Amino acid sequence: MKTYVLRRILISIPLLIAISFITFSALQLAPGTILDTIRFNPQVSEETVEKLERQYKLDKHWLVQYLYWLKGIAKLDLGYSIRNERPVSQIILSRALNTLLLSVVSMFFIWLIAIPSGIYTAVHQYSFGDKVFSVVSYIGLSLPGFFFALLLLFFADMWGIFPKGQLFSGEYASIGFFGKFWHITKHLLVPVIVISTGSMAVLQRIMRGNMLEVLRTQYLVTARAKGLPEKRVIYGHALRNAVNPMITIFGYQLSGLLSGAALIEMICSYPGLGYTMLDAVRAQDTHLVMGAMLISGVLLVAGNLVADILLVIVDPRIRVH
Amino acid sequence: MRRLVTFLGIFISLTLIYCTPKKGADLGQTPNPLANLGEYKAVVGTYGGSLRLTTTSPPKTFNNLMAKETSTTDITRWIFEGLTNQSGITTKVEPWLASTWDISSDGLTYTFHLRKNVKWFDGKPFTADDVVFTFNDLIFNEKIPSSSADTFTIDGKRIEVSKVDDLTVNFKLATKFAPFLQAMGTAIYPKHKLEKFVKEGTFASAWGVSTLPAEIIGTGPFVLSKYVTGQRVELKRNPNYWQKDDAGNVLPYLDGLEFTIVQNSDVELLKFKNDETDFYSVRGQDYPTLKPLEAEKNFTIYNAGPAFGSQFLVVNQNKGKDDKGSSYVPPHKLKWFTNVNFRKALAYAIDKQSIINIELNGLGYDQWGPESPSAGFFFSSDLVTYPYNLDKARDILKGEGFVDRNSDGFLEDKEGNPVEFVMITNADNTERKGILEIIRKDFEKLGIKAHISLLEFNSIVSKLFNTYDWDIVLIGLTGGIEPHFGSNIWKSEAHMHMWYPKQKEPATAWEKRINEIFSQGVQELDPDKRKKLYDEWQKIVSDNLPVIYTVLSASISAMNNKFGNVYPTPFGGTFHNIERIYVKKKS
Repeated sequence: MKTYVLRRILISIPLLIAISFITFSALQLAPGTILDTIRFNPQVSEETVEKLERQYKLDKHWLVQYLYWLKGIAKLDLGYSIRNERPVSQIILSRALNTLLLSVVSMFFIWLIAIPSGIYTAVHQYSFGDKVFSVVSYIGLSLPGFFFALLLLFFADMWGIFPKGQLFSGEYASIGFFGKFWHITKHLLVPVIVISTGSMAVLQRIMRGNMLEVLRTQYLVTARAKGLPEKRVIYGHALRNAVNPMITIFGYQLSGLLSGAALIEMICSYPGLGYTMLDAVRAQDTHLVMGAMLISGVLLVAGNLVADILLVIVDPRIRVH
Repeated sequence: MRRLVTFLGIFISLTLIYCTPKKGADLGQTPNPLANLGEYKAVVGTYGGSLRLTTTSPPKTFNNLMAKETSTTDITRWIFEGLTNQSGITTKVEPWLASTWDISSDGLTYTFHLRKNVKWFDGKPFTADDVVFTFNDLIFNEKIPSSSADTFTIDGKRIEVSKVDDLTVNFKLATKFAPFLQAMGTAIYPKHKLEKFVKEGTFASAWGVSTLPAEIIGTGPFVLSKYVTGQRVELKRNPNYWQKDDAGNVLPYLDGLEFTIVQNSDVELLKFKNDETDFYSVRGQDYPTLKPLEAEKNFTIYNAGPAFGSQFLVVNQNKGKDDKGSSYVPPHKLKWFTNVNFRKALAYAIDKQSIINIELNGLGYDQWGPESPSAGFFFSSDLVTYPYNLDKARDILKGEGFVDRNSDGFLEDKEGNPVEFVMITNADNTERKGILEIIRKDFEKLGIKAHISLLEFNSIVSKLFNTYDWDIVLIGLTGGIEPHFGSNIWKSEAHMHMWYPKQKEPATAWEKRINEIFSQGVQELDPDKRKKLYDEWQKIVSDNLPVIYTVLSASISAMNNKFGNVYPTPFGGTFHNIERIYVKKKS
């Protein structure tokens, strides 16, 4: 097991380098540099812009710039954001925590609701409850996230119940623990509902499908035939087999913890990593984009690894070599 | 089938509802510039209350010198101050951290006498050492990646700054520099706080957004008290500020300023309507919905007159060739573009009134020359104007040999080349897109095939400054009052001389004359003689049309009525007198 994990980590290094290289070269395709807004200021001379280019090493060939960046990464230095005049790691850290809060809370709700409802609808196929869940999840599936978010914001504005955007408004510092808890809950409500609805619907459908398939297998007939109580049949035998594909999805979701909510973050004015990233791409703040990309890449690799390890634990048929 | 018909019916009616033109704002409703305000007279206010504002971009740093965008300077402008200040009302230079100054008879040496009672936020006195440090160790420091040295470098020579005594500083110039006192509005920084960063070589990242607010030390009316990353900025009153009102009360009146960072102007508007903020900078499109709410929501919409940000067409007149020997502009096009009458015909075809009505909701002004009418002293009304007249444009084009030779409905030049070009503007600016579309339709009526191409701002910059492969561009500049600060645009050898940058010799007689005007203007210390020079420049530009100006939007703002001493101006905005704005007591 240990060698397996080690090998997977080693293999991921060239993969990450490839990802970073492609991102870096794609950023170079866009014309201009981050200094173009300064260049368009009549009060700034051309010599000054050239001086700035030298100081930020933007005058070098882009491959050389990439190697500089790679050298920094080897020393665990994510680089320097020209636009923010501070190290990339500081910016990502401050924004990533907000995004993590949003993603983890959403993920918690997604799994809390999707798995039990998936099991319930499969066990009670074609019952009234199943049909209700079907309708709800089809609505969830077909409603685009950005539109749903706008709809909720519209109602939020009309009724004036939820705050629009932001995480900590004025009174935050002055309220007690429960006040703070309520405050954050209020602000998380809209984005969490939006993010959860879509994924919840997908997961619920998949869980239901898996479960139905397992319920029809021969060994379940055998289990029932030998007189096992229904609860053991469902939770002890069917569920353990039906849940395997879900673990792969879980690993995949881990990789989206920081980047998955970007669109919703922007619509809901949520101060997370997604908005910072978009801003950085627009301004061509190369190191910041690269840093955020790298973090997402690492999470993708790690998420897949975690999923594979979980599979081994859950399913005794799978062995690693 | 029936379902399909119903669906189509719904679809078509929805489309009709959506496409029905909305009624523009009634022009008669537009408040006259400052008509409702009268003469500015600050009254003695009362202490307390705070001003709630919004901003659409979080500050990237609190290091004012390293600021690359207004997100930082919108906040640091309350913290740092300069030796002089340009009045938001009269636009004249007034004493600020320096109480008086002497100018030597040759106009080359300025001696500033600093105010005695000015203190940094941490209680340390403000002295000549801080001024000398700001110039010699920060602004002129080669190792600091900032562009601020340019304003103080005249003809490649730096201003020499030296201390005379604790409250006196000497500035020695190599040549006469007329806008020197305006330039002295640049912020002064505390030596005792920043010297260590300069020595360590970490000044660029000093005073970043994660710095403790108490570490950021200025002399201004407000002190940074809190920054929640990406969400809020709070400033509180500086109790030791040097300015006092007429009754001897220490200013400012307000307890603090609170900025909420939101993603875009629509959210700003929403928050203002919900009384979550006190101020909103009104766009033309918001005016019709905001105006009826004035009484109910207890705010006033102010129109301070024409703003400064200009939008103009530039026609590429670059005669240069690239490395491979092919011209940047195809020779037949260059012939049209360098023909002043061709440009005049284009100018006559620009329907400014439609642009104002459609794009600015009626809240805009014609612009004919490089200075905004709000520039006051330097604005000249003696300009050549081109009121919308398609017949006149057609006549001019005909006179220059542009006629429809193959009767395809479009014009050809004397050699038979169809008159066709591409107009570019930046894709993220919806207003410019709209302006360009109106212009394109009128050009089409003249028989000119004009195409619109929307590009990212950065690729327009690289076309203008590097590859020079463009026909016509619609672009804007924030503008200002002092003409000399635009010399990088107007001098023919400058890189921002957009229509033909970096000329070795001026290509035309009028460009040569503009060069002379700018070289003389910067050295001319007599304001009236100086104005005469720049009046001539404005006339030349309007006559030769290297850039064809379009419209200026009105500078409109909405502010809650609970505040007193509110007097918005186009140059100073609503907060040029922030230290005197106060919350009126309910009577």
